[in-house]
Amino acid sequence: MKKLPELLPLTPPVFHILLALADEERHGYGIMQDVARQTNDALQLGPGTLYGCLKRMLAAGLVEESDERPDLELIGERHDERRRYYRITALGRKTVRAEASRLAGAVSAAKARLDLAGGK
Amino acid sequence: MNDSISIRAACRIYAAMLYAYPREFRLQYGVEMQHFFHDRCRELVRERAGSGVWFRFGLRNIADWVVSTLRERRAAPRQAPGIRKLAQEWAVTILLFLFVTTSMVQAYVVPTGSMENNILVGDHMLVDKVGFENGGNNWASYVLPHREVKRGDIIAFRYPEDVRQTYVKRVIGVSGDHIRLLDKQVIRNGQKVDEPYVRHSGPGIDDYRDNFPTAPEFYTTGRGRDMFASHVRDGEVIVPPDTLFVLGDNRDDSEDSRYWGFVPSNYVTGKPLFIYWSFDAPTRDYAEWSFRHVADVALHFFSKTRWDRTLRTP
Repeated sequence: MKKLPELLPLTPPVFHILLALADEERHGYGIMQDVARQTNDALQLGPGTLYGCLKRMLAAGLVEESDERPDLELIGERHDERRRYYRITALGRKTVRAEASRLAGAVSAAKARLDLAGGK
Repeated sequence: MNDSISIRAACRIYAAMLYAYPREFRLQYGVEMQHFFHDRCRELVRERAGSGVWFRFGLRNIADWVVSTLRERRAAPRQAPGIRKLAQEWAVTILLFLFVTTSMVQAYVVPTGSMENNILVGDHMLVDKVGFENGGNNWASYVLPHREVKRGDIIAFRYPEDVRQTYVKRVIGVSGDHIRLLDKQVIRNGQKVDEPYVRHSGPGIDDYRDNFPTAPEFYTTGRGRDMFASHVRDGEVIVPPDTLFVLGDNRDDSEDSRYWGFVPSNYVTGKPLFIYWSFDAPTRDYAEWSFRHVADVALHFFSKTRWDRTLRTP
């Protein structure tokens, strides 16, 4: 398991995946849908990117696998297809919080600069 | 909800694309990724997405596939080449080698000067085994493009008197041709043949050799005698069906169809492709293995290799 400072800054996909898992467990497709919602469709994860990130996040201990179960809403009447669900870990939660405050700092710094520049 | 054929096809294709990922990654996430892809397709159908959306979806997936396969491949642990891996690689190499050597090309060293000045003693060449119809009698020549053997072609073939040996000569007559020589000049079907490639060692006329066909001599082989007995009429050889009449370019010093008869067309192994190495050494060195020759090559590789002949087509 890696230490916090090594993990920061997070890449945008990792950050948004962690955010998507912050409130509930999701399966891969659910994560993609939530990330699209978070970012107003600006970030649409493809399967390769998503599962590549999940693999590395599992190895780093940011997320863990929950269980496998069907998603009734997604699949409709076909209940035989099971999905693997993912859940955020304590380390993941700490990391995404740290990243969010890092980003907030960056944003406020940018704002200050840009306001100064604008006021010229 | 049943999927349309196009969605099923897209999922098939995607499943195949997964093989670009490292094995471990594919085993771990392949099924999930297929579900993911399938879910996305179904959602687009539900939304009645237009063709533009589908197009963007396709492009995005291809981009995702390219980027993530590259990343996963780079991240995949480099395992030390285990014995299994090594065996696999060698198996592929050997299979390929066997395939190429048994059905595509054959390496051949020219032992005699019968085709000089076009092919020299010590020319190591590759013979294309699939270029001719029937060439080498192997299956590849049925699949790959090929053509009939024509007059004037240089061919490699099994020596009819001893099929273990490969000879290289030029085709002078194909089946049905009437051939004779008049003072070294080849006359085919009543017409003089222009042969710029021929070399003569001197003006001296030997009747058997230069005014062919006359009568069998003591050095005429069994097949040669057959030719004289059954296929000579009015002072001309008539080439029977499915055979070829061949002569060496070094016409006065060549043991060819004049002495041992016709080449059955299924004895043709192919067409000389190019010379990959030409080493200047006498005939006896190429006729049988000798330590002297090996030492000669080792000592004089650079000086005795005819560099100007390397990679030339005969």
